[in-house]
Amino acid sequence: MRIPKIVALLIGLLIPAMALAHGPTRQKVTLTTEVAAAPADVWAAIGDFQDMSWHPAVFASEGAGGNDIDATRVLTLGEAGGPTISEILYKYSAEKMSYSYRITEVDVEVLPVTNYSSHLTVKPGANGGSLIEWRGAFYRGYPNNDPPAHLSDEAAIAAVSGVYQAGLDALAQKFGASN
Amino acid sequence: MPLTRLIIGLSLALAAAPAAGEIAFVTNQNSDELSILDLDKGTEIARLPVEGKPAGVAVGKGAEIYTVSPDSKTIRRFDSRSGEILAEAVLDGGPIGIAYDPASERVFVSDWYNARIWVLEARSLTQISTLTTGSAPAGLEVFGSLLASADRDAHQVSIFDLNDLTLRHQLDVGERPFGLGFAPDGRLFVGNVGSNDVTILDPQQGEILATLPVGERPYGVAFAKGQAFVTNQYENTVSVIDLDSLTVTATFEVGEYPEGIDSTSDESLVVVANWFDNTVSLIDPVSLSVIGEMETGDGPRAFGRFISEGAP
Repeated sequence: MRIPKIVALLIGLLIPAMALAHGPTRQKVTLTTEVAAAPADVWAAIGDFQDMSWHPAVFASEGAGGNDIDATRVLTLGEAGGPTISEILYKYSAEKMSYSYRITEVDVEVLPVTNYSSHLTVKPGANGGSLIEWRGAFYRGYPNNDPPAHLSDEAAIAAVSGVYQAGLDALAQKFGASN
Repeated sequence: MPLTRLIIGLSLALAAAPAAGEIAFVTNQNSDELSILDLDKGTEIARLPVEGKPAGVAVGKGAEIYTVSPDSKTIRRFDSRSGEILAEAVLDGGPIGIAYDPASERVFVSDWYNARIWVLEARSLTQISTLTTGSAPAGLEVFGSLLASADRDAHQVSIFDLNDLTLRHQLDVGERPFGLGFAPDGRLFVGNVGSNDVTILDPQQGEILATLPVGERPYGVAFAKGQAFVTNQYENTVSVIDLDSLTVTATFEVGEYPEGIDSTSDESLVVVANWFDNTVSLIDPVSLSVIGEMETGDGPRAFGRFISEGAP
């Protein structure tokens, strides 16, 4: 299984409007879900940079450095021998229940983005539950003007949105939808 | 939840008009909102809906605020206390930057796609005239009777005389100037996103005074306590330039993807919008350090002059 290529419902809503005719612009995707479990419980499940088993697309994670700054991980997607994404941790706060990482290496045929960075954060939600927020900023997979369709801004936004949605849906299932 | 927050924001806006104090008006491009931040109290007073992916912003007279939404090509004038839209205009082209001129009661809006500036009557937003610039004008600022435009793809700055709306100078700067700002003494500071430097020029004489390397992708410029502060968008830092010696004296970290930057009228605080973090960083211009952070909506840009002294 590859990263699901989900048709984005969000196209058109998320594209920064400046300078579309002047080469790639930095794109941003923010997705959230509310769950019934307390923030500490959710953070306990997703707050370890070395364990991304909560995401249905991630088959395995190997890494070094724990949750220290500059820790690394290589995610294997789908199955043994599947495509990989290499990432590095650049911010980590157990207190704020948030970590930030960058992709250091990925094939644009796997995830059609470049210069990708991301924050994963757990915040207090309604009725003692949690708000889980996953946010990414990136450029499309094609650096020049006139990208092929599968490496366009829209394709990048759709792919990242698909990854986030799949992860958040899994967490909503695990922790129960918000009350 | 966004809806709830909006309703809370609106009711707060109606209930509690901002008292005199320093207020920041931050355009949240991704979430289509304007965050109104009380900088003295450290609280968000309201979050107003602004359709069309707002980026450009300019404070107007009193509690009025102008926004530019490039997606819907819409300019709006708000009463920031009631949240009411007082005037609205759709401009056919690529509106981006905006500047307000209190002396002539006009606003100027750059047209990214058509190498020009719209001149609008500030109250009604009706079009009075246009000014011709170089290719892809972005940042605009008014100082006295001068209007400056950063013409990004022409790698130049255009300086206009507001008395008769004529072009005074066109000066080559660094590569791809985007944001700019006038120092209190009238010198113009221009951030060149392509060459990672700041051009300092005398807009009256039309002379380049200096070019200083700063961080990666300098985006916006503000001034306080005899210094210029420049956001480095790709480096998550702010560079500090001493206005006397024209040297870079410090560089420090702010949030991620810093863009719009402005200072309070008493120069006690510099505020930076962090596009990726959904926050503003509050900077002490004396200690040159971040002393606080406030949350905004999604994708804060605050491209323009976005801090005012609040309601009189």
